[in-house]
Amino acid sequence: MIPGAGWLRTVWARSVAALSRERLDREFDEELTTHLELLVDEGRRQGLSPADARRAAMHRLGRLDVLRETHREQRGLQMVDQLMQDLKYSLRMLWKTPVFTAVVALSLALGIGANTALFSLVDDLLLRSLPVRDPAHLVQVRQVVLAMGFRKPAEAFAPHAFDTMRAQNTALSDIVGFARLDRPAVLVEGEPESGRDVEQVSMNYFRDLGVAPVIGRMPDASDAAVGVVSYGWWQARFGGRPDVLGRVVTVNGQASEIVGVAPAGFHGLAIDTPADLWIAGRTSMGLQMVARTTPGLTLVQATTATDTVFRELALIPPTFKVETELLPVAGGISQLRAQYARPLLALTVLVALVLLITCTNVGNLLMVRNASRRRELTVRVALGAGRSRLVSQYLVESALLAVLGGAAALAVAQWGVSILLSMLPLTAVPESLAFNMDGRVLGFAALLSLLSALLFGLAPAWRGTRVDVTVLRSSAGSTAPARAVRTGRFLVGCQVGLSVLLLVGAGLFLQTLRNLTHVNVGFNPDNLVQVSIDTRGAGYRDGEAAGAVSRLLLERVAAIPGVRSVTAIRNPVMRHSLSRGMMRVPGLTLPPGESWETADVGPAFFETMGIPLLRGRTFAASDFAVEPRRAFIVNEAWARRYFPNDDPVARGIGIIGIVADVRLAGVRSETAPMTFMMIPKQPDRVSAIEVRTTGHPSTVFAAIRDEVRRIHPRLLVDLRMMREEIARDLATERMVAGTSAFFGLLALLLVSIGIFGVASYAVAQRTTELGIRMALGAGRWAVIRESLSDTLRVLGVGLAAGTLGAIAAVRFASRFISDLLFGLGPADAASIAAAVLIMAVVAIAACIVPARHATRIDPLRAIRCD
Amino acid sequence: MKNKLDILQGTLDLMVLRTLSTLGPLHGYGIARRIEQVSGDRVILNQGTIYTSLVRLQQRAWIRSKWGVSENNRRARYYVITRAGEKQLVAQTEYWERLAAVMGRVLASERSEG
Repeated sequence: MIPGAGWLRTVWARSVAALSRERLDREFDEELTTHLELLVDEGRRQGLSPADARRAAMHRLGRLDVLRETHREQRGLQMVDQLMQDLKYSLRMLWKTPVFTAVVALSLALGIGANTALFSLVDDLLLRSLPVRDPAHLVQVRQVVLAMGFRKPAEAFAPHAFDTMRAQNTALSDIVGFARLDRPAVLVEGEPESGRDVEQVSMNYFRDLGVAPVIGRMPDASDAAVGVVSYGWWQARFGGRPDVLGRVVTVNGQASEIVGVAPAGFHGLAIDTPADLWIAGRTSMGLQMVARTTPGLTLVQATTATDTVFRELALIPPTFKVETELLPVAGGISQLRAQYARPLLALTVLVALVLLITCTNVGNLLMVRNASRRRELTVRVALGAGRSRLVSQYLVESALLAVLGGAAALAVAQWGVSILLSMLPLTAVPESLAFNMDGRVLGFAALLSLLSALLFGLAPAWRGTRVDVTVLRSSAGSTAPARAVRTGRFLVGCQVGLSVLLLVGAGLFLQTLRNLTHVNVGFNPDNLVQVSIDTRGAGYRDGEAAGAVSRLLLERVAAIPGVRSVTAIRNPVMRHSLSRGMMRVPGLTLPPGESWETADVGPAFFETMGIPLLRGRTFAASDFAVEPRRAFIVNEAWARRYFPNDDPVARGIGIIGIVADVRLAGVRSETAPMTFMMIPKQPDRVSAIEVRTTGHPSTVFAAIRDEVRRIHPRLLVDLRMMREEIARDLATERMVAGTSAFFGLLALLLVSIGIFGVASYAVAQRTTELGIRMALGAGRWAVIRESLSDTLRVLGVGLAAGTLGAIAAVRFASRFISDLLFGLGPADAASIAAAVLIMAVVAIAACIVPARHATRIDPLRAIRCD
Repeated sequence: MKNKLDILQGTLDLMVLRTLSTLGPLHGYGIARRIEQVSGDRVILNQGTIYTSLVRLQQRAWIRSKWGVSENNRRARYYVITRAGEKQLVAQTEYWERLAAVMGRVLASERSEG
């Protein structure tokens, strides 16, 4: 199951058996034989017969088997022998109790697996460095444009910016450039290839990054235009054969020769979008700029130096407010990182709690089981086994369980990663995030298994081997002493506390999701279809064509039966893609830098979307005929902010209507001031069409697709019901809430098993005493109270500690958690109360069966059984 | 046989070191024989016991071993005292002599009083 385990076992076995034991045994035998012969010779010299001489020699040398055994012992091999013995014994014990073994291994697999899955994702996104030379000094050079109250980073630089940077900036070295090509047309030896991701890179890209080829060479300054293929594509398309070198790839009409293959771990600098092919050469395209800062300089110093070069060379127009920014990118450039780092870290904390709970639970199970083995242990101690020997035997058993759990955990982790990724709204799962069973992941799983084994194995081993030989004399030797029970109770108390913490987290995230799904988006998302279109793939790049296509599409779709109305919007809804802007409004002085969200919409937008009109009117068809556009519509928040005291519609300043507040950018967006304009006749692009249907939206999907294909076969469209768009916008929250709810339930299950075990044990242990009390007339409740009071006290303490811990945790990590929540604060009293209540109910429920058991003790039998 | 001393491990180790220091490289038989001769056959229960001591001394790097040929033309392991072993021999001998002297005095006085 674990690659390398077989190899390891072989080496282990050989080194122990062959190297040490067999060789040393053989040599010792030889030594003894020589010794014996010398003794025989001595006897012969004294005149003994050969037979007598041999007998005397054997007598003087000593018994060979005893000598061998003491020799072996002295050599220190005994330890290995003992370990093998313990291993065999443990395997037999685990085999004899398959249910116990399965339960323990399974819960460990879940705990370790969940942690490994999250480690794999966190490692890919946050910890791993790019496989290039000296990644620690890599930075991305960006220019952040400050305009209209927001920061817009500009990342693409023209070739002359690269040249001047290389020549003038001593703070940066190894300046490389790259750009992703937008849906390039790729031919290999004249044959079209579909769906290949291509990056245009600067000639020095591979050499200065320090990426060595698997085969072939990397581009150098003397090349004109050459290609480097990724390892993955080389394997998939070219069968991993060396004849890939020298082949010609044509990208958007430009032919290049393939000169090398990149190493397997290298997918480019932008890790979210791995590339199949890099074309190196001079280009007029704008490229993203990545460089190394000169060692010894701080980031601030390097930034200042870079900014100076930009300004001196007038690369920044003086009228713009622009800041230069150097972004450390040792781990690669990633949008996903910014988006998912926090949710993943929050889940990491939750699964760590789950593993702790699992370990205490397994520890408890082991302790209970070991208690039933006391008699056997006591006998072994009485026969002279040392305590360390017993402890080591227990630890071997724990290690075996951990190995079992850890191996299964790898499968769980792989499964977990694919589930988590499937819950995210990724169009394609980047290769960089996929579960890779590499050294780091294996090492993490192994380390975690080892730690878990120590965590759950040490206490039972220590407690369980404290035996008192005198108990052998009485028949009471089969029950555990009070100490073990106390340790068990303590562990359960810890579990309760940890579970409260976990439940508070799960409660906060579930409540967040609930709040978000109940947000009023301000329009009617039912029976609404969003058609996202991309005209560039079909070659419509200019405004006239884009406008014509969208008008044509609107007309055709409107004619489809089952479509009530149709409208267009420049940027799709629920994709966080609205633009910001401002406009001069007569009679209104705006503070400098003021801006708000704006949307360019088509005819019948508000009617189709179901956005209520509060005052005035919406855009009429005639408005769309007038250019330049004068009329616009504002939302309620805008009107309240800028015209708090009168009606802007009545002023005749272009505002023709006021509509209700609406969340178009995303569910989490605020209902801030917003204006609506009409799409111009020649728009730069129209990205979405909104279709209101009379029946279920899916009925018109096929018809819309047909119409699109009829307009242009390569027009790319993406059809989604608006409900689905909203769900996708909440996918991360749903993932966090769903995952934490799952682990919350798992924790409850584990903890109720733990409580049940401890409570049952408490009752069983006092059967005699309870029997006597009942015989003396004690009532039901008194018996229950008597038998479970200690347990309940510990549960209470655990509950209190957990509550305090949770309050402290949300305080401590308040800022971190706040960003993940919606509509409630981290110290949400309801969530904490709910967690405590649920935990308390589960705890009491887990005590009910043992409590009933206590009241049904037959006094006569109870007294007799001891 | 009956009146052979049940000697302490350390004593045997010391005797082995002494023997190797005096006679140079020897195999197990040679060492055992020599100790029997010097102690008048009174120390060793059986000669095989010597090997436990030899392993112990090797583990502490006070002696080394190498393969050679015995006088009856068999492959035999020869033991050699190391520099650390020589040092140990000096220290242990001193200690042993002091202990023996003290023990002698104590035992003598006890006997005279008793």
